[in-house]
Amino acid sequence: MSKVKKGYVIPERFRPVLGAFMFFVLMMVIFIAAAPEVFLTVGIYTAIFLSLPLFAIMGLSLVFVTAAGEIDLAFPSIIPLAGLAFAWTLQQTNFNFALAALFCIAVGLACGLLNGYLVTKLGLSSLITTLGMNFALIGLTNVLNNGEVRTFSELNDSAVRSILVGSFGPIPAQMFWLAGIALVLGMLFHRHKFGLHVRVAGDNPEAGRAMGVNIERTKILCFVLVGVCAAIVGILGIYLNSTYFSTMGEGYLLPTLAAVFVGGTPVTGGKGTIGGLVIGAATVVFIQTGVVATGLDGYWTSLGFGVVIVLSLLGHRKFSGRLTR
Amino acid sequence: MSNQPIVKLVDVNKSYGNVYALEDINLDFYPGEIVSLVGDNGAGKSTLTKIISGTEAPDTNGKIMVDNQVVNNWSSAKARARGIETVYQNRALSEQQSIYDNVFLGREITNRFGIINRKKEIEETESLMRKIGYTSKVWTPLSSVNKLSGGERQGVAISRAILFDSRLVILDEPTTAMALTEAAEVLEFVRNLKKSGKSVIFISHNPWDAHAVADRFVILERGKIVFDGPKGSMSADDFIALLHKFAKKDIKS
Repeated sequence: MSKVKKGYVIPERFRPVLGAFMFFVLMMVIFIAAAPEVFLTVGIYTAIFLSLPLFAIMGLSLVFVTAAGEIDLAFPSIIPLAGLAFAWTLQQTNFNFALAALFCIAVGLACGLLNGYLVTKLGLSSLITTLGMNFALIGLTNVLNNGEVRTFSELNDSAVRSILVGSFGPIPAQMFWLAGIALVLGMLFHRHKFGLHVRVAGDNPEAGRAMGVNIERTKILCFVLVGVCAAIVGILGIYLNSTYFSTMGEGYLLPTLAAVFVGGTPVTGGKGTIGGLVIGAATVVFIQTGVVATGLDGYWTSLGFGVVIVLSLLGHRKFSGRLTR
Repeated sequence: MSNQPIVKLVDVNKSYGNVYALEDINLDFYPGEIVSLVGDNGAGKSTLTKIISGTEAPDTNGKIMVDNQVVNNWSSAKARARGIETVYQNRALSEQQSIYDNVFLGREITNRFGIINRKKEIEETESLMRKIGYTSKVWTPLSSVNKLSGGERQGVAISRAILFDSRLVILDEPTTAMALTEAAEVLEFVRNLKKSGKSVIFISHNPWDAHAVADRFVILERGKIVFDGPKGSMSADDFIALLHKFAKKDIKS
């Protein structure tokens, strides 16, 4: 038993998000110092805020899966598959948004259910199962789509577009969607009993079962959440570009996973932070832009990326004890 | 000690293939008593507790009675509903969650949307920690369990049993692999459990611990009850001598 510490101690549950935030601020200070002409203008932020919400919404759902002690690598292929469902329905129904969105989310949900079923009921490793599903689902997408690029210039002036991805002053509308979804999922993860059950599932499932918590159902719902978020990202992506192409999920896998871990959610499960994820996603998205903006060649991006991920993990360990190991 | 047993086992048998894990067990557990259940490895202690807690079914000829009524299709959910709570050795707690989250796990106090009422859970956990004799000033209900000592962890697991109106608490080896002071702490928790009106089945390998808290001893050897009697004035040494007697018999046979 240790002595009571004197003075104010930062509560343990706030440390990961605070650590992620300090790291983000540090990185921004460096970027601003290196390229003030870029980072002190509004334009760069507007540009970044276009794509940040898509990574962040995806990452939010991955916090649940990771905290539940599993991993999901299939989402980069759920995005184009659900997106195809959306694009196809739009074409078939003469732009019935509600129907298309419903079908799109149903496809995402079904993919999540399948992943969850394979992992929990059949007891397969989630890493390998979802890796396989990632291949299978992009394959299915390609077979169904048959290489077609579906352009929707009709969407450009639609009301739905301005609600989903329009802009409010310099702030893209999707930032508000992100804020809303993050708030809801934050409550779900940190305050709702479902969130507690998710964390227990990743920490000590036996303890949960002994207390009557349905661990399998909890994990399945985490995978379903990933599927639904992938569908939402698919819809936003299509509206953002007014185009559907089956490669729209490429480039999500590593940055999104990085956002989860940079945000302070440990890979070992049992814990996670929604606030940290949003900051982690911002960190990741800013690196891509920041490295180029500071005058370095684009080839430096990946190097900068790697350095930031490793440094941030070290920072989390210093700050939060054993959390990130 | 009141007259009507909470749980009564009548001619309970349990066999795995042609091996008897339990043979003709007749046993009563009364309100407000601590029963120490002791015996060697493989004596049938855990099988017996699994049957009482509903995680395993006995062979068909025996009967489990709760409040003098025969129960059918006994299950862990039913056992809990009837006030029989089991505290397991290792699988009881989620280490990375807070004390109050663990105490209320699976029975959270929520509003109608399922949002946990943290304030209320924390308050109740605080009063619970006091009730059970949690002396540490270092931990609050918000501390995560992985900061606690083994004894304190048992305290958290045990306090759940108090909270949920259980009548009979089964403690499976709660002092195993613990330092002396920690074990003493757990024994104090157990006594406080009795003070708050619960009956306890205390399963242990450690004869001193078993003797220290017991009102009654039940000794199992090879699936049979070889001794069932009150502690009375029996000293720890007498009790250990008794245990040796049965163990020796066992070796001879």
